[in-house]
Amino acid sequence: MDLECDLLVIGGGMAGFVAGTIASNAGISTVVLRKGQSATAYSSGAIDMIGYLPEVSEPFSSPEEGLTTIAGLYPLHPYSIVGYSEDVEPSRVVAEIVERARGTIAWLKKYLKDTAASLIGSFDYNVHPITVLGTTKPTCLVQETMFSDSLQQNEDNVLLFVGLSGYPDFNPSAASKTYLEDRISVGEPPRKVGRCVLEIKPFGKSFNLSSIEIARHFDHEESIDDFAAQLKIQVEQLGASHVALPPVLGLRNALMNKKKLEEILGVQVFELLGFPPSIPGLRLQTSLENIFKREGGKLLVGHEAVGYNRMEDKVTSVTVKAPRRKIQINAKAFILASGKYIGGGLHGDENGIRETIFDLMTVTRAYHSASGILPSRYTNRLSISPMGQPVYSCGLTVDPKFRPVQEDGMEWASNLFAAGSILTGYDYMSEKSGLGVAATSGYSAAKSAINFIKEVA
Amino acid sequence: MSDSEFDVVVIGGGSTGTAVVRDCAMRGLKTLLLERDDIASASVGTCAGMISSGLKYQGEPEIMKMCSTEVVYFNRIARHIIMKNPILVPIRDFSVVAANRQMADTYSEYAEERDVPSMMFLTPEATLEIEPMTHPDIIAGVYYEEFFIDPFRLCLLQALDARNHGATIKSYCEVTGFEPMTNGFQGVIFYNRITGLIEKVRTKIVVNATGPWAHKIANMGGIELDLRLNKGAHIIFDRRIVNVGITTKESVDGRWIYLFPHENTTLLGTTALDTWEDPDTLVASYDEIEYLLKSIEFIIPSIREARIIRTMAGVRPLVADWNIPEDEVTRGYRVVNHDNGLISFVGGKLVMCRHMAEAVTDLVCKKLGNDVVCKTHETPLPGNENDVDIETLSREYGINMHILERMRARRGTEIVKILEMTKENPEWKTTICTCEPVIEAEIRYAIREEFPQTLNDLRRRLRIGTGPCQGTSCTHKVAAILSEELDLEGDDFLVDILDFRAERWKGIRPSMRGEQLAQEELAQGMYSCVGNLEQSDVDYDMKPWEEGN
Repeated sequence: MDLECDLLVIGGGMAGFVAGTIASNAGISTVVLRKGQSATAYSSGAIDMIGYLPEVSEPFSSPEEGLTTIAGLYPLHPYSIVGYSEDVEPSRVVAEIVERARGTIAWLKKYLKDTAASLIGSFDYNVHPITVLGTTKPTCLVQETMFSDSLQQNEDNVLLFVGLSGYPDFNPSAASKTYLEDRISVGEPPRKVGRCVLEIKPFGKSFNLSSIEIARHFDHEESIDDFAAQLKIQVEQLGASHVALPPVLGLRNALMNKKKLEEILGVQVFELLGFPPSIPGLRLQTSLENIFKREGGKLLVGHEAVGYNRMEDKVTSVTVKAPRRKIQINAKAFILASGKYIGGGLHGDENGIRETIFDLMTVTRAYHSASGILPSRYTNRLSISPMGQPVYSCGLTVDPKFRPVQEDGMEWASNLFAAGSILTGYDYMSEKSGLGVAATSGYSAAKSAINFIKEVA
Repeated sequence: MSDSEFDVVVIGGGSTGTAVVRDCAMRGLKTLLLERDDIASASVGTCAGMISSGLKYQGEPEIMKMCSTEVVYFNRIARHIIMKNPILVPIRDFSVVAANRQMADTYSEYAEERDVPSMMFLTPEATLEIEPMTHPDIIAGVYYEEFFIDPFRLCLLQALDARNHGATIKSYCEVTGFEPMTNGFQGVIFYNRITGLIEKVRTKIVVNATGPWAHKIANMGGIELDLRLNKGAHIIFDRRIVNVGITTKESVDGRWIYLFPHENTTLLGTTALDTWEDPDTLVASYDEIEYLLKSIEFIIPSIREARIIRTMAGVRPLVADWNIPEDEVTRGYRVVNHDNGLISFVGGKLVMCRHMAEAVTDLVCKKLGNDVVCKTHETPLPGNENDVDIETLSREYGINMHILERMRARRGTEIVKILEMTKENPEWKTTICTCEPVIEAEIRYAIREEFPQTLNDLRRRLRIGTGPCQGTSCTHKVAAILSEELDLEGDDFLVDILDFRAERWKGIRPSMRGEQLAQEELAQGMYSCVGNLEQSDVDYDMKPWEEGN
């Protein structure tokens, strides 16, 4: 069986869906291929743009400041690529880079508005949401359910951390202490925190509660009411002005639940940044899927790209495997957004690091070949440090049109583009730039692919 | 005697040290154990846990006899933490059979007392039926059985039992020097890493059970002690990848190597390299990893398809027999009586730890004029008093049998105390480490009863973070529970997480490939990208293996 489309996007995470949605919106018939759950679904659901310069401990105050710095220092960073195209005048390089990122953020906010993952935040400043560990991290956009505009404004603010009995992913005791110590050391409010553990009623069991089942429970209308009643007592006892909850307010109705809680309690309520399995990550994943389909795109779930055909300088088709069938998808252009090791775009073993579908050239962040390196040799002795782990910066290097290049610096194929974490040139973990790079590169790769398809047509 | 005076101070909380402190305490001696880190935190934690029948030591019949008897004793005192592994030796080259025919006879000589069958020769068909991953070209197989013990629990139970008999156990206390004997007592000076204070006790006798550090401790007492240190590395796979243990001499260089299912994982080991490195900094090298994989590939050709989760490396403190290959060095032990109140061990194997303790305690008793006889071979260790009926407990407490069976393998009869805690706090039935699995009640129980200070100490007691995810999903959860129970500051909570990630990373890093690259990406994504821990302003102490270039 064959399938025909203009554009095939391999990978259904942030990069793939941004690319697919933009292409569909431009009238290009687009198929997005998704093997399984994307890494986007594992994310905290906040959209990082750029938090830190590699190995520097002072965070950027805004994505704009960060992008400007990156544009100057790292011309091969995935953010920078668009600025160093031949059709950009030298005086416009930085502006082009910053504008592309700003445009992507605006696009995301616009498209995800009124979805379960509607976003809030600005390109002009980073926000510092609290995590389930009680630490904070710089990020650009958070989902509305995770947002509090006034927490650090008022000296008298009191924050209540709320845990759920039998739910091990968040411990309000450890997190509240960590957060308070951090606040004291920076000398900023809130200066008082509290904590409590509530039971979710009515609920079938008292232990082993998972994020998913709690979120689904809260999605039922009125199931938040009993919780609100319990919480009200705690809020009043402590005199809390803000309430921090683990990110489980619902897969569909989280924002409604947040607003309802705020109305009943008369305080600001927000979700913390959490770990996988991540409800905000799933909300983001589902919302991206929905906007793509809304724009007319076709989604093939449970299908894995396993091979390809090429003719001269073009990929003509990709072979795709599902448990019970194998199909060939013919397209005019292809976007590879298959991710890193979690997504399966890259594989590493004792023989080196390779790209899994087209066997494209992989490089290290220093742009040496990664095809023969031993993954362990490309790591640091310190597990968690501002230096990160270089093996997670390996990936594809692309030309200004986001086409993967080969050893001679020329594109590997004229109609294959790449986006997302499969790209080299950055370390999303220590920079805090993962979903931002994914969205921006997805946006750029789509623009290039659209142009290519229109030119060919 | 005052509070700071002892009959015996035992240095080193490994298998031998904890066995000595138990024996001394049971014979009524006033005993103190000083361990610079946690119980079982060094050499013993890097072994395969086999309490060997002595099969490999045919050249030393008295050692084979001793090993077999000790296995019988262990099954008597600690059967709840022992598993029996059937083992296959698939054979491709007939000369291996010929060269090792004697092995079958010597093994079988004492098989009956250990309640295992005699060694059997199998057809290639039967061998392949037992373990289908075996190379199809095999010409025969040999079948036998060995016992494996949880080495962490063994040491801990010996220490706890010693405490029950009146001994004092001090972990995180590092001996820094001795003071000369006056009035029959010598001083032992140590740095208490928990309080940050230098402390001193006085004792009649010091037993040096510090394994690969024995020469350093002896040196502090002004004595030269020769040791032959030998590094051994293991590769650990994510599950029980073989039906039975596999051993073979058809390795890269004709040395015995093995692939043993161990708890929920499989161990491939071991290498043997003479070493002069600091044991604290050792990690498996690329050569060792490839040596082990290549070696077992001759027998299990598909080994590289299995998922490697980590490596571990340790040091054998062998008797200083020089000018011979490592595998010809005696596996026996020596008690070195330095005649200044200091007694040291060299050599020995895990299986001998109780025997070694008995020998040294006999010597101590003789010196101190104590004539109480040794009972360590007949008195059960805590938890081994009775059988445990998992099915009934599962029904009574509403916890699944798999969780309870894993808990039973650590706890024996003690399991009931833990389950009782869930009556008042049903939410503590929550599974915190899902790989092993371990429930919250057991973590809280271990914190309250087994003196852990860090997540690594809890790992040794509970096997948290030892499975395929290597603590990715449980590190922060267990850290929070520890922080709650010990009422730690927020900074300590973060340092505990960083410490545990550092220790896991030490073993993950050398063999990192395949699925573990994705697994670690997830861990880094959680603790670095989201948790932002690399930017947290906490007092993190670099680990020995993290320093330098």
